Amino acid sequence: MKYTYVIKRILYSVFVFAVVITLNFFIPRIGVDDPAERYYPPQGNMSEIEYEIIKQVTRKQYGFHVSTWQQYTNYLEGLSRGDLGSSFRPGSPSVLGLILERLPWTLVLSVSTMLIGLITGVLFGVLAAVKRGRWQDTMLLNASTIMIALPSFFIALILSFYLGFELEVFPAYTDPNMVSSFSWALESIRRVAQNAALPVLSMVVGSVISYAQGTRNAVIAVTNEDFVLTARAKGLKQGTIRYKHILRNSMLPIVTSLGMSISGLIGGQVVIEQVFNWNGMGTLFLEANNSNDYPLMMGIMILLSGFTIVAILVTDLVYVLLDPRVTVGDKR
Amino acid sequence: MVRRLMLLLVVSIIIIPLVGCQGISQSHRPDPDTLYVGSVQTSFPAAYMPWLSREGIAPTIAGLLYDSLFSYDEDSGTYLPSIGMDWYYVDENGLPILTEDGTIDYARLEEVYGSPEHQFLRIKVVIHDNITWSDGEPLTVEDVYYSFDIATNNTLSNHAGALAWTSDLRHNYTNGVLTQQGLFTYDRGAARQGYEIAEADKDTVIYLHVNKVLGSVMPLFTSVLILPQHVWEPVVSLEHQLNSTSPNEEILYRYRNPVGSGSWVLNAAKSNNQQIILHRRPDYHLTKEDGSPLIELESIQFMLYQEINVAIYALLKGHIDVLGTTVSSNYLRLFASEEDIFVSNAPGEFAQTLVFNVHPVSSERNPLRDLLANNDFRRAMALAIDQEELIEKVLDGAGRQESAGLMKASLVDFYNPRADSLPTDREMRLAEANTILDQIAPERDSAGYRLLAGKRVSFEILGSPGEQDLISYLQIQFQKIGVDVQYAAKGTQPESTYLYTSRFDLTLHGVSFSLSNIDIMYPAHFQTLGRTSNYGRLVNEELNEAIHAMRFTLNLNTKYDLIKAIQPMIAEEFYKVPLYTSNVISVARTDRFAGYQVVDGSTVLNSLTLESLRKTERGR
Repeated sequence: MKYTYVIKRILYSVFVFAVVITLNFFIPRIGVDDPAERYYPPQGNMSEIEYEIIKQVTRKQYGFHVSTWQQYTNYLEGLSRGDLGSSFRPGSPSVLGLILERLPWTLVLSVSTMLIGLITGVLFGVLAAVKRGRWQDTMLLNASTIMIALPSFFIALILSFYLGFELEVFPAYTDPNMVSSFSWALESIRRVAQNAALPVLSMVVGSVISYAQGTRNAVIAVTNEDFVLTARAKGLKQGTIRYKHILRNSMLPIVTSLGMSISGLIGGQVVIEQVFNWNGMGTLFLEANNSNDYPLMMGIMILLSGFTIVAILVTDLVYVLLDPRVTVGDKR
Repeated sequence: MVRRLMLLLVVSIIIIPLVGCQGISQSHRPDPDTLYVGSVQTSFPAAYMPWLSREGIAPTIAGLLYDSLFSYDEDSGTYLPSIGMDWYYVDENGLPILTEDGTIDYARLEEVYGSPEHQFLRIKVVIHDNITWSDGEPLTVEDVYYSFDIATNNTLSNHAGALAWTSDLRHNYTNGVLTQQGLFTYDRGAARQGYEIAEADKDTVIYLHVNKVLGSVMPLFTSVLILPQHVWEPVVSLEHQLNSTSPNEEILYRYRNPVGSGSWVLNAAKSNNQQIILHRRPDYHLTKEDGSPLIELESIQFMLYQEINVAIYALLKGHIDVLGTTVSSNYLRLFASEEDIFVSNAPGEFAQTLVFNVHPVSSERNPLRDLLANNDFRRAMALAIDQEELIEKVLDGAGRQESAGLMKASLVDFYNPRADSLPTDREMRLAEANTILDQIAPERDSAGYRLLAGKRVSFEILGSPGEQDLISYLQIQFQKIGVDVQYAAKGTQPESTYLYTSRFDLTLHGVSFSLSNIDIMYPAHFQTLGRTSNYGRLVNEELNEAIHAMRFTLNLNTKYDLIKAIQPMIAEEFYKVPLYTSNVISVARTDRFAGYQVVDGSTVLNSLTLESLRKTERGR
């Protein structure tokens, strides 16, 4: 039964990925202007024939000179070879190269945020659940309400202005030489940590509260279950009951949140990266979008969608391990 | 357990800032000879193709690294020396067509080239004899020849923009074969054409054949950045073109280490997609009148900021000297309370206009849009617009009123005041507008809006989110004549989505007309139907004839007269109605450098500023 479930989930994921690839190709082309007319309006005494030649050259340059179907098959052929094409940027760098250049820097922020958020959030959540109704719990609930009203870019700007520009505790924005001069030396790593401090802090506040809130609710729900009462009746230690019985059984919603955050790991946080000049995937996508760099946009989208699909698949499979009752869903 | 972990967390939270504090207190502008410039972009280019794209900071950097033959001074209508030192039209014998005082003799030009058998104009260009490329090689007319030649030969350049810039040059390639030569130097057929060039001048004189339009020289002189032949010719081939989509190592190296003739050189080793460092060329050929270097500044470091508020704060806190990006007038009050801040509130070049869809394609016509085709209705709408109020409310006063003929009043040689014939008194304007509309759509609904066949007269104005403020004030102004307007988002591809397909009522469009661009812009805005800036598909035969005559006259005085005659015609169409021209606001710090210049249409980071900047006492 479980194998059937796994195979079905994998096939379903492959199907979704195929749809994503197709949409990813066609959506950017909807309403695409003729690049020639966009970049090179007719000049001076130019004749229609001369201008048509210019338009043909530009279409060829941007790969629009063949039929859409031909472009699509070329695109699929490239993908099958792991070739995401070349960017429209000067020098035509490869899309994959550009992505690989930025991805590690996004991971620095997202993985740090996820780990700090997860560990701290779960701890706070357990504490709030254990101290239900007391100040620790009230504080979490209030913080949660405030965080809903405060978007992360606002927190980022406040942190940049006060901790960065005013107090100069951390760099207000990323050192432009951080990436180009990076080596695995301790000083270089410390420099990255310094520069990453404010972006991570901006993102981690919301992440902590989100995990804490989820953990608190799950723990409270499980605490009232019969098996916890039985454990207490058996005279088990309080610590054993909390961590072995209650926390383990409260993991399902936390795994869901974690799965969702994993899928967002490589996408980057556009606004946070913008505020702190962090050269990550978010700003790469923004650059691609601003300059109508379709190959780059498509490459990023493919990678993001592929990663999300895999993350969701893995989350679904982990569900099965954590809770044997979660299997096919349609037959029990 | 929880307590222990919480303690660990608290300790970590205390330690991290301590680590972060180290090394932050260093000066943000460490080099006293470098001008630190903030630029709000998403990224800087990491490779520099010679003819860079027109987006972001690329053209600014290109203009600093490379030079064109001349630059154009809008105010005087003259070409200023750059690589080129002098130019003039010549007759068939190569003799200059100049007046006694050395200016172009347009009457004679018309006399010499007026007849139809003359199919092109002949131009002689003399370049400076002391120019070197940044790698030390001398710059000669062979570099000029190479640049124009490859620009016209797309099989080698693969650059559509270059084809567009040189479309008026009578030098043509067909499938990579030269079919018509229009460039002549001492070594490239000048003598055969009857142009005498002394051997001593062989590196500095070039003749050009161009189409018979006075504006032909503009893109040739100012858009084509001259390239070093010795750098590009050895590596450019049919397989590896100048603008290569898959550059090999050699071409990529040249993209990353540009060799130019401009006043600045790129520090390729220290530049990346977050900062660009340029150093002044001590051997730049142009100097001040006393022979001293044109620029005193040693280096410029462009710093990337992706968020405007962060960039503004960086300026206020002394991380940068100049913010090379236009800022909103909303920030004027913030800067007013700051010390050491210079605000450049320069007159703008682009007039914001309200464009009417006057002649939509048949499938997009409807009774309401038919109203827009009515000149009287458009006149009423134009009368309802109060430019003064829009400037005050939308721009916080940082703007100026624009002529209905869409020509800057400061361009005294071209501006025609007869274009501004509508009454100036606000009450009179509204009364006249309501009188006109009472004839067209007298009925009103309970809210006071006019009705047409029982339906409210309501139009959508296509705009970007940043233009919602303006549209809100237009809403209030048009309400006074009973016409409703609503904001409609134009999206990222408005041309193909709405404008070229006539799927709009009204839209906003920034326009800028001057002698340097009207040959191209007048037809594009008012004459040509199809995929041009004539979004509302205006058709006016009389205007078309005037534009045609203006473009093709060889007499500059006649051209001026026709430009003046065209302005009232444009105004009377009420097709692109001016709303205002906003100022270009930018800021700089004055604690280290002084001498910032306010230049029309430019930010404080302009060529005049770079030539004038000097260190202050505190900056030394």
